Amino acid sequence: MGAEVLAISVDSADTHRSWQEKELSQMVKDGALFPMFSDPGGRIGALYGVYDSENGLDQRGRFLIDPLGVIQSIEVVAEPVGRDIAEALRQLRALQHHQTTGDYMPCGWEPGKPTLSKEQSRSGEIWKEWKTRHAF
Amino acid sequence: MSVMVGRKAPEFTADAFDRGEVRKVSLSEYRGRWVMLFFYPADFSTV
Repeated sequence: MGAEVLAISVDSADTHRSWQEKELSQMVKDGALFPMFSDPGGRIGALYGVYDSENGLDQRGRFLIDPLGVIQSIEVVAEPVGRDIAEALRQLRALQHHQTTGDYMPCGWEPGKPTLSKEQSRSGEIWKEWKTRHAF
Repeated sequence: MSVMVGRKAPEFTADAFDRGEVRKVSLSEYRGRWVMLFFYPADFSTV
C-alpha cells in the first residue's frame, strides 16, 4: 500500500521522545517508526477542524491524503474510543484500487469482493452484483 | 479554507520527533505518496 503515517498531538517533541522511550517501545520493538508532530496550541489541529480549544487537545481525527495532496477520507472519534486501524487500511486499499482501475467499491468491499463500474454504481442494478453478505 | 473530502489538505510545517531525532517536517515532503495523518489527544493515552 505504501502509505506514510504521520501522527500529531499538542505534546512537545520532548514528550513524544519520552513516550517513545517509556511506553511505545514496550508495545512495539523500536517504538513508532514515523514522525510524531508537535502541535502546541493546536495550530495544525485547528487547520483540520479537530482542535478542541476548551480542553486544549487535538481530537482523534484521521485523514487519508492522496499523492496529489487531496483529502480522500476523514474520520473523527470521541476521546474515549480508540480507532479501527483495519478500517482505515480498508479504505486506503479501496481508494488506491479506485485510482488504478476506476472501479467503484460497494459497501463492505475488501480485496476479492465484487466491484462496480462507475455506470453500474448509479444504475439501480447494483443488486445484480452486490448481496447483503458482501457488507460483512 | 474548509477541510473536506475532495479538497487539498492544509499545508503545515512543524517540529516532529522522528525515530530518535527532532526535526522540522512539512506535509509537502510527502507529495507523491499516500499519507495517513492522524491526530490524537495526548501522549501516554490510546491513539
